[in-house]
Amino acid sequence: MSSIIPIRGTSLRNFNLLLQTAPRLVNSQFRPHTTSSNPSSVNPIEVSHFNALASTWWDPHGSSRLLHLMNPLRHDFIKRCHATQPTPVAKEGLRYLDIGCGGGIFAESAARLGSTGTVLGIDPTPEVLAVARKHARQDPGLQGKLEYRNMSIEGLPKPTSLNEQYDVLTLFEVIEHITHPADFLDACRDHVKPGGWVILSTIARTWTSWFTTKLMAEDVAGIVPKGTHDWGKYINEEELRAYFLGEQGMRSPPGWNGPQVMGVLYVPGVGWRSVTGSEKVGNYFFGIRRDE
Amino acid sequence: MNPVLSSLRARQLSGVRCRTCARLLRREKRSFATASGAGDPEGDPEIYDVVCVGGGPAGLSLLAALRSHPTTSRLRLALIETQSLTPLRTFAPQPDSYSNRCSSLTPASVGFLDGIGAWRHVRRERVMSYGGMRVWDGVSGESIGFDVDGGGGGVEGVKEEREGTEGSNGGVVAYMNENVNLTSALLRRIEELGGVDILEGEKVEDIAFGEDTPTADLTSWPVITTSSGTRLAARLLVGADGANSPVRTFAGIESRGWDYNRVGLVATLKLSGPGWGGEGKKIAYQRFLPTGPVAMLPLPGNMSTLVWSTTPALAARLKSLSPEDFCAMVNAAFRLRTPDLKFLHTIEGGQKDEVSWRETHTKFSREQVPQDVVAVQPGSIASFPLKFRHADSYISQRIALVGDAAHSVHPLAGQGLNQGQGDVEALTQNIIYNVEHGADIGTRMNLEGYGKERYWRNHVLMGVVDKLHKLYATENLGVVRVRSLGLGIVDRLEGVKGWVMRRAAGERGLF
Repeated sequence: MSSIIPIRGTSLRNFNLLLQTAPRLVNSQFRPHTTSSNPSSVNPIEVSHFNALASTWWDPHGSSRLLHLMNPLRHDFIKRCHATQPTPVAKEGLRYLDIGCGGGIFAESAARLGSTGTVLGIDPTPEVLAVARKHARQDPGLQGKLEYRNMSIEGLPKPTSLNEQYDVLTLFEVIEHITHPADFLDACRDHVKPGGWVILSTIARTWTSWFTTKLMAEDVAGIVPKGTHDWGKYINEEELRAYFLGEQGMRSPPGWNGPQVMGVLYVPGVGWRSVTGSEKVGNYFFGIRRDE
Repeated sequence: MNPVLSSLRARQLSGVRCRTCARLLRREKRSFATASGAGDPEGDPEIYDVVCVGGGPAGLSLLAALRSHPTTSRLRLALIETQSLTPLRTFAPQPDSYSNRCSSLTPASVGFLDGIGAWRHVRRERVMSYGGMRVWDGVSGESIGFDVDGGGGGVEGVKEEREGTEGSNGGVVAYMNENVNLTSALLRRIEELGGVDILEGEKVEDIAFGEDTPTADLTSWPVITTSSGTRLAARLLVGADGANSPVRTFAGIESRGWDYNRVGLVATLKLSGPGWGGEGKKIAYQRFLPTGPVAMLPLPGNMSTLVWSTTPALAARLKSLSPEDFCAMVNAAFRLRTPDLKFLHTIEGGQKDEVSWRETHTKFSREQVPQDVVAVQPGSIASFPLKFRHADSYISQRIALVGDAAHSVHPLAGQGLNQGQGDVEALTQNIIYNVEHGADIGTRMNLEGYGKERYWRNHVLMGVVDKLHKLYATENLGVVRVRSLGLGIVDRLEGVKGWVMRRAAGERGLF
């Protein structure tokens, strides 16, 4: 693909999706599929889209501003998840795997924490990763703690021992860009240590989220670049819960417990705020722990 | 584990370097330690999380605050101060002698200083708390009712008739304290905690952005070169370096304002007694004269500190007088009518006698003014120009300004030092939040919260203080009538004045 942003009639297309009605789409994301010819979870259209955005990733007033503003909430949510553990989380040496790390907003911040041992950030978009590497050089404190690799999760060697697994596997604003999320999560979960966490954030597939993230954010207000989101790929919290806990006839990967959820709302002029119940409406965090 | 990584664990936020770098840095450290005065100018600079330029009350309290909080105690800190800090370390004052540089500390500032473990190092026997302020108009003689609130909302009674009433802080409006008592306590606290690299007696020779080397890209990091040749790269460079801040100049931040064409004349005075209410019931006095306010602020025992805002010419006259005549002039400033004062400034000597007979012909209530000034501490009379300055912004990429580097305010409300402490408290909170969330403490985006919070709060307070100065710095009959009648402008300012006084007592929040 070239680096041209694909121009898509987003609002019209989503209007069509909307006519198909949201409830019919529930669970459709997790239908087993066998016809995929693409060995990677990565959608090439998504890669080219993020290539085009690479240069603005660290501009605090650019299109990634909302992600920068959201980043502290990611840490708050991880702390909240860790606080639910029956055994207290380690005070140092935690290993993070940040999948779809983009320009490294979260990966850098995780590497700066006193409790962090190392962070590995992976992303399939080469230009974005080049931005991440370049930016990380501006903080000498990150050297030796933060590593980036240009690959998808399928490219990462399967762990053969506990030492190769991660305490925290993060998927921030990633899963809504994945064509076959169940396969993708299958590939992710082996990398999590027993007792470790999968932490993700995404957007619920609701009328409200179509209105706010597609129509308002991309088409009307223009605060999110066009083509960033494909509303049809959005996943609801209950679908994730069902996937990990093996409910509702889902493929049943055993051994996950204690799901946590936190809905967040962006209030212009105020910033991101955690709002109970808003996971049903729009952006939310989801965390689940692998059995020890 | 590899040694570089394990040393990292110990200092998560400090510079992580490759072995070559670490070697270079060790070499640089050696040269600094041997005081050869020549840090390798070709080598990589030493990397710090916070470099604070300026070892005054604001800079020292920032370092003490960061060192005393568990979240920020692992940050690598450096202080650069032009002066030697030895006088602070050896601060051993005579009991009856006080520095002429005193500041009013609000209960909020004292609470903050206590929280960072510095207040217990302050010599408390040299600190004087006061529970009320008598403030009046020097032209009309009317009391300016600095009424705080109508219904006992928990702030000290500062109106004349409410003097001495109990407030939310045990009746304390503020604490008078010598600046040196505070800074020496802060330094003691810092040295008790350890871990701050102190470069004293060194000037900032140069500030420039770093270089893009094979190990790191420091092109967004300010690198400070000191007069001894030491080079420090700062993740966050804090300008606590006063009104002519070199850090602010480096950041290209304009500081705007005006000169009042007034000086603040200070002196340490001995009064005839410890105050009308005795040692436990001290109050502050401030009289608004057309030349500016004159304030008498209590110190322990019979001592008081004077802050007299006046014109440079009149200040020069006052400084030239004999101690007896000077004391008489101070007494006159609180007692006599403005035409008398005007005349007394025109004569070259003999004020003592002039004042004593004029007093007998002036109607005033003795207990409404400070007790008689009987002596002035030798060498304690000094003056400094009064300015209004406010920096356009408190932050820039990897830069934060605190204290006088960010703002200078008229001393009439005793807010200067307290504003600086407020800046430091807010900046410390900002840094703690960023460290807890893995954010780079130096980037402009992550400093935005600090900049916004403090700029607007200081802006409003400074504006009100400035307007008060201007409102009372006039003999214009119309204005005097209006303000004295307690009608019109003054009356409408009632809410504003209440707001000022709540701020004067250090209450938080804008409203």
